[in-house]
Amino acid sequence: MKKLVLLLIVTVSIGTQAQSRFEQGMQKAFGLWQEGKPWDAANMFERIANAEPNEWLPPFYVAQINVFQSFNEKDEAELKAKLKKAQDFLNDAKTLSPENNEELHLLQAQLLTCWVIFDGMKYGMTMSPKITQLYAEARKMAPNNPRVAFGKVEWEIGAAQYFKQDITPFCDDMKNALALFDSFEPKGPFYPSGGKEYAQQTYNRTCGSTPQE
Amino acid sequence: MKPNDFYSRFLLFHISLFTQLLTAQMVVSGTVSSAGGSPVEGANVYLDGTYDGTSSDVNGKFEFSTGESGNQTLVISFISFETFKLIEEVEKMIDLRIELKEDIGALDAVVISAGTFEAGDNSKVSVLKPLDVVTTASALGDFVGALQTLPGTSTVAEDGRLFVRGGEAGESQIFIDGIRVFTPYTASPNNVPSRGRYSPFLFDGITFSTGGYSAEYGQALSSVLLLKTIDEPTQEKTDISVMSVGLGLGNTQIWDKNSLSVNASYFNLSPYNAIFPDRNDWEKPFEVMAAESVFRRKFNNGLLKIYGAFDATNFELTQEDINYEDGLHFKLKNNNFYSNFSYEGRIGDSWKLFSGGSFTRAFNDLIISDQLVENIDNSLHLKLKLKKRFNKHIKLNFGAEYFYSDFKETYAADNITDISYGYNNPLGALFAETDVIFIKKLAAKVGVRAEYGSFLEEFTLSPRISFAYKTSKNGQLSLAYGKFYQQPFQDVIKFSDKMESPRTDHYILNYQFSYNNRIFRAEVYRKNYHDLITYSDDLPNFDSDFGNDGKGYAQGIDFFWRDNQSLKNIDYWVSYSYLDTERLYLNYPYSATPPVVNKHNISVVGKYWIENWRSQVGFSYNYGSGRSYTNPNKPGILQEKTKPYNSLSFNWAYLLSQQKILYFSISNALGFKNVNGYQYADRPDNGIFDRRTLRPAADQFFFIGFFWTLSDDGRDNQLDNL
Repeated sequence: MKKLVLLLIVTVSIGTQAQSRFEQGMQKAFGLWQEGKPWDAANMFERIANAEPNEWLPPFYVAQINVFQSFNEKDEAELKAKLKKAQDFLNDAKTLSPENNEELHLLQAQLLTCWVIFDGMKYGMTMSPKITQLYAEARKMAPNNPRVAFGKVEWEIGAAQYFKQDITPFCDDMKNALALFDSFEPKGPFYPSGGKEYAQQTYNRTCGSTPQE
Repeated sequence: MKPNDFYSRFLLFHISLFTQLLTAQMVVSGTVSSAGGSPVEGANVYLDGTYDGTSSDVNGKFEFSTGESGNQTLVISFISFETFKLIEEVEKMIDLRIELKEDIGALDAVVISAGTFEAGDNSKVSVLKPLDVVTTASALGDFVGALQTLPGTSTVAEDGRLFVRGGEAGESQIFIDGIRVFTPYTASPNNVPSRGRYSPFLFDGITFSTGGYSAEYGQALSSVLLLKTIDEPTQEKTDISVMSVGLGLGNTQIWDKNSLSVNASYFNLSPYNAIFPDRNDWEKPFEVMAAESVFRRKFNNGLLKIYGAFDATNFELTQEDINYEDGLHFKLKNNNFYSNFSYEGRIGDSWKLFSGGSFTRAFNDLIISDQLVENIDNSLHLKLKLKKRFNKHIKLNFGAEYFYSDFKETYAADNITDISYGYNNPLGALFAETDVIFIKKLAAKVGVRAEYGSFLEEFTLSPRISFAYKTSKNGQLSLAYGKFYQQPFQDVIKFSDKMESPRTDHYILNYQFSYNNRIFRAEVYRKNYHDLITYSDDLPNFDSDFGNDGKGYAQGIDFFWRDNQSLKNIDYWVSYSYLDTERLYLNYPYSATPPVVNKHNISVVGKYWIENWRSQVGFSYNYGSGRSYTNPNKPGILQEKTKPYNSLSFNWAYLLSQQKILYFSISNALGFKNVNGYQYADRPDNGIFDRRTLRPAADQFFFIGFFWTLSDDGRDNQLDNL
């Protein structure tokens, strides 16, 4: 009997400990990221991804950091290496995540946008429609996700500016997307939830006024 | 201390108390460097399967503590390096000195480039972008036209097909998704260039090999052109094209893991010819109806593509001819059906399977003067291929393929009875090839191909080998050698099976330098022809005496330079080819340079993006030095040369909006009076053979098109309703 109780305690505590280990690790990684050490954070996420083969969030964040760090990359070899790594981890996240995960569509669209930014002449024609399609699908999956809504309209504004079209109608969409941040509830702990600050700045820069609440 | 931390420490404490699971914390430390000895910063160092690890610092140093003990796997991973693994007792993982090996699959690894031009987003060294096919001024939307601006090709303006390094057009084979295309070009009258049958928008990868190609491809003496169709369409859309020469309509549907694209087009040159008459007298101007469709289905481990295309061409005209006072009457009806399927998928981790096939039915009904020729060609190609990747250094590629052609022709003329003839020609092949990357700087491809054709009762064996060596960070040297066999063309084997396959040997040395959107290539080559087909009469027929007594050579040097960097918004490339070739074949009494050869070829293509006009304007300039022709008033053959060919083409693409494009182009804008050759009279008049100049049917060609894509992405109003 004594042994049984002991066994029970051990089993339960190991289970809880494993759970908290994940939380701890994720918190540590986010902490590194906030401290301005994205690559250390990415390495931490990669280690967690490696130790927790059933969680989609760690590989998702490895991919996300690599994508975010690629937006201003000018060296083609570096860009290709980073985006290849991002794509590999994103693919891992895709196989692990539940169906209809709009965040993965969003990240895929952002990854392709890096190529278009790098060389619009070379990649614009082939990748632009894919990006547009990804945003459209993500919107269908989660019409209230502010990052998806904002990313979509930001992409549309970029295209409209390129083609010298009036962006005023998009500004209304952008304002609405911005408003979504206030009511948004992430589906689970460590789920993507940020982006409001960036969205607000972008809105101010592009559309030139603060949104009315 | 955060509550979480406290909680876990509390638990840890309990566990250790009861079970003594916890051992002392061990420290893992060491330094990471690259092969050159320089420190690697930011590498991820950790014990496999645990959270314990760190990133290496600016000096490549790392240190972390762990609760693990005993044998563990230490992993060190970093972009562009091979992941390093060490299995060792944790206790001994102190002061490690680890050298990471560079990842040989990385971007700047050596690639075999002798004889090969690649176009596409994915290729490591891409000389052409997929869009170049439609934005090159002289190409007019024809993928073959864009390739004609690359070195190694000859300017044979009246033909339109690819002529590579002294070879005839038939010596170049075209493959779609690895499967042979038997009739790649549209039918056209004499002296009017034919075009590639397939829409350039179907392809996202083009590999053009001017020699020394893989053992996977056979039955081509000079060149192969590999077209890869788009794997997955990006969006549902409808494309509408309104052009000065016809109309087009396309639609793409996507559902689940399936997608279907359908294109249909109708071309009719009557209105164009009415406004801009050419040198021909058209009774029924050029008319083409075409439809094509692609179905794709994604499986968990693979992709299936089924492609089908049908087109019908007809025209009737009278062409000026020196031997016929009223001209030569020519009428053609051509129906062509092509279908192709391919499946590519993974089997396990390291195997890949490819299988595919194509079927072509080509039907021609011709009236030439008062002779009738009707022929039908049913051809089949099947291929099965396996790829095994042993590790990053060695890959094996092997497979089998089968070709079958059934050709029948009927000839009828007034004063003779109808004649029918033809052949059945099965041919089987086996191939195996291995890719070896010795180090990041040195790679080789070694292969062999065996073929047996029962019509000619002939077995051939073709070894192929190529090497590539990186001479510097951005430069590399490649070397290729191979033997290539190809059965005699239809125009002779329809009359006889008493021949063997001609053979070429290729020797190629290539230097390539690419840096920051600039590519320079130089390639020298020598091609030896053996067993070329010879015959006794002016034109091959039943009574001709066929043989393999011919031979020849082609040698030269090609240069290519593309620069997309130095000038803002300007992208340009320059090609130059020098070609020296002679052949003894057909009914030549001695070796001579065939009429399809230019000694010097120059192409300059420029594209300028004008931001404020949302326009891309472009030009292409093509130069081909004079080609040989026979003047029967002098002794010998092919003893004279035409004047050089010059053409300057312009195009202008104006993006009205994201989805509307207005396109304008003009070929030979400066109106050079080009001469393709001369036609001499069959009989002399007062001892002199009279001649006429063969000029292009029209000196210039104008094109205006409006292309409109309709897709659901434009804008949706969902957001406004929130």
